[in-house]
Amino acid sequence: MLLIKLSLRNLLRQKRRNILLGSAMTIGVAILVTANSFSHGISDIMFNKVMRYVTGHVAIRFNERGGVMREIFRDRARVLAAIKDEPQIEKIDEGIAMFARAIGNGRSDNIILIGADTKKGQTEKEKRELEESFRLTEGSWKDVDDLSVENPVIITEDKARYLNVKKNDIVRVRFRNMFGQDQAARLTIVGIMKIDNIFMQGVVFLELTRAKELLGYRPYETGSLSLTIKNPQKNAFAVAGRIHERLKPGTAVIYASAAGRTGRRPAAVLGFKSDDQSKKKIAGLLKLASGSFDKAFKKDGVIVPAGLARALGVAAGDAVNIRYDRKFEKAPREAVLRVSAVCASGEYPGQDVILMNDAGFYDLYYQELPAAPAAGPYSAVSADWAGLVAPEWVLLKRTFNTEEYTRKYQEIARNKWKGTTLDVSTMYETASDILKLESVLNIITISAVLVLFFIILLGVVNTLRMTIRERTREIGTVRAIGMQRADVRNMFILETFFLTLFSAAVGVVTGFIVMRLLSLITFHPVDNPLGMLLVNSHLYFLPTFTGIAGSVFLIIAIAVITAWFPARRAANLSPAQALGHFG
Amino acid sequence: MNIIEIKGLKKDYPLGDTIVPALRGVDLAVAEGDFMSIIGPSGSGKTTLLNVIGCIDFATSGSVKVGDREITALSDRQITDIRLNKIGFIFQTFNLIPVLDVIENIEFPLLLMKKSAAEARKRADKLIEEVGLKEYAAHRPAELSGGQRQRVAIARALVTGPDMVLADEPTANLDSVTGASILELMRRMNELEKTTFIFSTHDANVLKYARRIVRIKDGLIEPEPA
Repeated sequence: MLLIKLSLRNLLRQKRRNILLGSAMTIGVAILVTANSFSHGISDIMFNKVMRYVTGHVAIRFNERGGVMREIFRDRARVLAAIKDEPQIEKIDEGIAMFARAIGNGRSDNIILIGADTKKGQTEKEKRELEESFRLTEGSWKDVDDLSVENPVIITEDKARYLNVKKNDIVRVRFRNMFGQDQAARLTIVGIMKIDNIFMQGVVFLELTRAKELLGYRPYETGSLSLTIKNPQKNAFAVAGRIHERLKPGTAVIYASAAGRTGRRPAAVLGFKSDDQSKKKIAGLLKLASGSFDKAFKKDGVIVPAGLARALGVAAGDAVNIRYDRKFEKAPREAVLRVSAVCASGEYPGQDVILMNDAGFYDLYYQELPAAPAAGPYSAVSADWAGLVAPEWVLLKRTFNTEEYTRKYQEIARNKWKGTTLDVSTMYETASDILKLESVLNIITISAVLVLFFIILLGVVNTLRMTIRERTREIGTVRAIGMQRADVRNMFILETFFLTLFSAAVGVVTGFIVMRLLSLITFHPVDNPLGMLLVNSHLYFLPTFTGIAGSVFLIIAIAVITAWFPARRAANLSPAQALGHFG
Repeated sequence: MNIIEIKGLKKDYPLGDTIVPALRGVDLAVAEGDFMSIIGPSGSGKTTLLNVIGCIDFATSGSVKVGDREITALSDRQITDIRLNKIGFIFQTFNLIPVLDVIENIEFPLLLMKKSAAEARKRADKLIEEVGLKEYAAHRPAELSGGQRQRVAIARALVTGPDMVLADEPTANLDSVTGASILELMRRMNELEKTTFIFSTHDANVLKYARRIVRIKDGLIEPEPA
């Protein structure tokens, strides 16, 4: 307490000198806090106001047959079952979007048609965020649910101006649906919104169900899913990991009734992998009875075991009719398979198993997902066949940063996928570059501020040297009276600490005032990338406790470490010499 | 019983390439409760002798015993503790701490001894009354006269109840009337607190206050008259 009292009172002795030094520290901290809050704000915009709507905190993406535009998973309930028990999940959004060419009044332009789930209950916070991000100047969000209107949409103000359309006008759109078919539709503009974010300039919102219909989804199918989770920075990776674990695929099996020329019996239809390596292994495992592997390995190739062929009364070249119950439709599905090869049953994956090339198999399987019977003729393949039969989907491995994620997709692009790829990712890996951007901005700021801090550092050293010189006799006195060296040193360090602490506190307040003033300025960055830095046309700052505490700690640490050396010198002065000092 | 015993004390100061001897073999013993003056011309070694006795400077050679402890072999921490607990200092230029008020200056050594604030204040209150500055308790040193400052310094030197008080030319910066009152006060405190006082001076007028006079010249103590 004595040292604190002395330090605080000594601080007031050289008011002008300390105010000057403190002001420099204040400016440094204010810059640091402002810059840190700005870069954190950019990350927040990107993660929580852009990426969150684009990919969610955790995204589950599907690409059927590796098609970039074919983002479909045929069993919505199945994937929802894998995520429903996650307590951290706040919201699940279906990402339905398509690029389209919109034709307005005499002008056309590209748009992104996005399915908006307007029926889902929104919290007050979500409503506020939605209103902040997409400010409607005409119409309301409820209007997109109006069944009496043909495809009601909300369009951006800029796009409406460019297309020369206004509320209640019709815009025709041409687009390609998920299956590659060209489609056309009429959209009715029921609302116009104002947005600042450049990434959202081309966005047109349509009610989710209608968007799915336009793209060719059936009600039980889903597009990619975006999950909003609590405390994403802490939970995203763990949630993604658990969902990934639960989405491990089994073997894709069609439980069917197979009929040949002379008989009908239950059979399981499996796909076999048709890459060169798998085909070679399969040829080694099977013993050909009739037909040829060349034909069997083609896209429509079908292999039947000898026992089943005998029971059905079929040989290579004959047709086998299969009929199976569909998972989501009532009427059974029928298909005709042409037998390419008959093989001895010995090394076969199952007694009544029909093997199909996976390309042909997935066509059938995904088009109409089969129902699973209570008990089927097929249970599991042997270890030899485990890696050779087609899985329900291809679960892509988890990645943890943008570099790994990019590499994964480069590898995927090189493969010819027959099945649906399923990827679980977090926005921290799909956009970890944004986090890097934040770090880079922080490094630039810190570098700039370090120059200022270097000047402050010189100031601290200089001030302390002057102070110690002026107070040498005083140091001699307190040492003679009985103050220990460490206490003398700590007294000077405490003086610097308090000066820095007060300056930093003022710096933080100044930083907040600067941020407030800067965020009052309105920007109008039409078609300017700067738009991404804005929220409601204003600069966005997000101060964090860690950022502020870090800045304060940094300057205090620098000042105290700097003060330590002259303070130690003062403490080591001989009391007799110090008492004899004049000047 | 002797409170100080010095034998063969030498103290040299380096000055560039030469060595300046300040004390050249001093032998001295000071009895407990003494009121002793060290007198000598400027440069005779008075301050150096007081500094060594007060443990704020070190001997080049010889033996210095304060109480029953040989101080030449002690660490800085131990020596600082001796200064705090056994010795009080009064300086020519008062050397009060300018940011503390009178009462805080007086209680300062007690707080260094980790005494409680209440205990320190109680003892300081007693001392401030004894030196007659009760009404100035809340004043800063800059608001006091030279004589008042030296009274504060005396109170500060005595507040810990030291074995001895060392005063280096305590009246040199005071007029003769004030100087005399300070010496009267020191004398009174010596009688009241039974504390040994050693003060240096080059002013022959103040010698009448001393019970024992030690003369020093060119770093050597002159024999005392029998």
